[in-house]
Amino acid sequence: MSTTTQAPKALRGVGNWIDDRFHLAKTGEKNLRKVFPNHWSFMLGEIALYSFIILLVTGVFLTLWFNPSMAHTTYEGSYQRLNGVQMSEAYESTLRIDFDVRGGFLVRQIHHWAALIFVASLVAHMLRVFFTGAFRKPREINWLIGVGIFTLAMLEGLFGYSLPDDLPSGMGVRILQGVMLSLPVVGTYVSMFLFGGEFPGEDIIPRLYMLHILLIPGILLALIAAHFMILWHQKHTQYPGTGRSEKKVVGTPMFPGFAVKAGGFFFFVFAVIVGLSAFVQINPIHLFGPFTPTAITSGLQPDWYMGFMEGSLRIFPNWLDFQVFGYAVPIGVLVPGLVIPGIIFGGLAAWPFLEQWITGDKRVHNVADRPRNAPVRTAVGVAGVVFYGILWLAGANDILSHTFSISLYWTTYFFRVTAIVGPIIGFIVAKRICLGLQRRDLETLEHGYESGTIQQLPSGEFIEVHKESSQDTVHVLESKTAVDRIDDEAIASVEESESDGVEAPAARGLKGRLRAKLAHWYTKDNVSFEGVEAHTGHHLHHGAGHEEHEEMAGSH
Amino acid sequence: MKWITARRRHPLAGYVVVLLALAVFGVGYAMVAPSADRAEAQVMAAAQTGAEPADGENAVDISQGRDIWERSCASCHGLNGGGSDNAPDITGAGGAAVDFQVSTGRMPSSNPDAQMPRKEPAWNREEIDNLIAFYEEEIGQGAGPAVPEEPPGDEPVRADYEDEDAYKEAKAEYDKAYDAYIDGASDTEAGMQLYLANCAHCHSWSGAGGGLTGGHWAPEIGDATPRQLYEAMLTGPGQMPVFTEGTITPEDKQELISYVKTLQAEPNAGGIFDLNRVGQVAEGFIAWTVGLTLIIACAIWITAKQRAHD
Repeated sequence: MSTTTQAPKALRGVGNWIDDRFHLAKTGEKNLRKVFPNHWSFMLGEIALYSFIILLVTGVFLTLWFNPSMAHTTYEGSYQRLNGVQMSEAYESTLRIDFDVRGGFLVRQIHHWAALIFVASLVAHMLRVFFTGAFRKPREINWLIGVGIFTLAMLEGLFGYSLPDDLPSGMGVRILQGVMLSLPVVGTYVSMFLFGGEFPGEDIIPRLYMLHILLIPGILLALIAAHFMILWHQKHTQYPGTGRSEKKVVGTPMFPGFAVKAGGFFFFVFAVIVGLSAFVQINPIHLFGPFTPTAITSGLQPDWYMGFMEGSLRIFPNWLDFQVFGYAVPIGVLVPGLVIPGIIFGGLAAWPFLEQWITGDKRVHNVADRPRNAPVRTAVGVAGVVFYGILWLAGANDILSHTFSISLYWTTYFFRVTAIVGPIIGFIVAKRICLGLQRRDLETLEHGYESGTIQQLPSGEFIEVHKESSQDTVHVLESKTAVDRIDDEAIASVEESESDGVEAPAARGLKGRLRAKLAHWYTKDNVSFEGVEAHTGHHLHHGAGHEEHEEMAGSH
Repeated sequence: MKWITARRRHPLAGYVVVLLALAVFGVGYAMVAPSADRAEAQVMAAAQTGAEPADGENAVDISQGRDIWERSCASCHGLNGGGSDNAPDITGAGGAAVDFQVSTGRMPSSNPDAQMPRKEPAWNREEIDNLIAFYEEEIGQGAGPAVPEEPPGDEPVRADYEDEDAYKEAKAEYDKAYDAYIDGASDTEAGMQLYLANCAHCHSWSGAGGGLTGGHWAPEIGDATPRQLYEAMLTGPGQMPVFTEGTITPEDKQELISYVKTLQAEPNAGGIFDLNRVGQVAEGFIAWTVGLTLIIACAIWITAKQRAHD
């Protein structure tokens, strides 16, 4: 904004009036000038925010007509096919929203598509944060809040999916109840408590409704607010580059640049979701029909974000079930239904602290890591993604089997093996790729980039001319700090000398030795950039000796 | 060539080449690979040489039926229908089973070891009727369920009629019978309960079919005529259980068939892309590949350009 032009007098008057009372000008200016780094991957969280806003607005619209009651009624509405069919009032009122409320069908589809996009963008956002190490100090708390939002979003989606009381709703609730029942000792009590008696009872829909429209969205809103306040206070991380440092953020100021971009982005998100809702049918409850406890169907899944739980239930073997004093302990439900999701979410929550403990890196980080510069973290992340992805695919095994004409049992065997082997392969491959990229970075930093120009030397031999990389590239490459390679032997020797040859206390004991081993494993393969200065390699100097060119030829 | 030369070093060129190669191999394989239909065409060609349509509308030509039997059925099921290593004994299967298997194109089978998909029948209606007549006369001899007459069977095919008017007349008659049968069922709830309790766990709520154990699958039932649905219930082909007239009465069968056909005829109220009614897997796939991808593409676009004074 230009500072020479003055605002119109009327505006100035109002502005001064407000400022005299609230002293907003100073805070306002500071916050309006807040800088946001320009990179698409920083917009992923915003997709989640915008789809959440869309969910709130459309959700309010739907509550105006939805009737969360399991009381029986006979349908007599404008949807001819189901006339005279017995159903619950919840299902009946959903049909009313679809066929009798103007725009109701579209809004319900928007609500559902926005939910799918919401959780998908949460995942994308979390992957960005994980792989760039943006969860490191000082942002661990915000990472935990993020994990909480993700978990609650899944539950919120599951409960919302269950509300219309149509065929897949009831089946989803039935699986939920099955998982609850698998809890040893308390399972039946938990189930009876939630359902107010036997499945399905009359209470479950009103209770899920309360959870879906009041409790969970309330907590979600609070968490999202906290997430943003912390983000505002701590500022974004940013990728390495010219002029960027741990202390200095480079980007677009909040006003006007970023506000315009973000506002436009909201409308784009809205447009995509409404476009999907207008043209692509989602969850056609009028075709499914109402849920009855006897009804069951193949070819129906939970929404995608519950797919990994469905998959873990589907492929987990039942060989391990046993009985204690005549009471069944269904390991085949308990482990895939509760332990595996627990490991995934618990692992997500614990990772920042685990990594900090292993590397001993307690410094503040505002510059994001390039994933290649933290190969073990990246590899762990890829292993997790592969594991999640395999479970997710396994949740659709009947559809895969039918669509691609593969025997159903083979898909189960395949997923059982790949759920274990896949993450290991993913880990190894990702780590090797990271290390390869590190070596290439080292090469580029030292020698510049391959220009593609071939020169003939007076002696007759050919060489490829390397050119100096741009300043920005050099900055990016040099962002790889020495800490990425923690030399635990060096640490140990330093500590040893400090304490006169006595083993460092931190390295003593089982925990200390484990830590040292993990630290070694975490950093041992990192390519060291120590002492490397940009463009000091020999390839830039053409008078170089013969053997060096041979070496270069060998390395390509 | 210039166009290619200018672009062959493009960063995406490698991907394009791989995609093209995959497409060439995929399409090429699909063209060359032997398919059930192709094998069937050979059987049909062999069968058609001997089978001349008989004269007269209702005249049943048992000799033609025998001819078809001997050419296309007996090699596996045996001359007397007693079966062989390749095929089951069908002496007790009944005319309904023969009609179901042949009119859905599943028999004659090109591979006795595999479950056959639905395809174009090898013979026209008249020839199938002759085959059934021969079967009931000499092989089944009254055992097993007969072809149910009430539910409408195959739609008339133009090729079976000499002129357009005769075809149109037959079509109108068929449509009338079809509507009468479907509309004759009035209790949607009964049909729905029967379908969802007995059929949906294999054929899925929409009739799209699904995977079964042991490499089998439950087929899609959208193309099946009411009579074929009825026959399938009566005879339990493949892995399917038998639902006798006692288990599900003819009236209930009519309700069930009406439910299936009415559901199938439902327009998709939620948009022109119905995702084939596959459900949540397809929805999640679209949410990621179309929805989120478009939005992220937009994010890349709006953050790519940064002006100096921003």
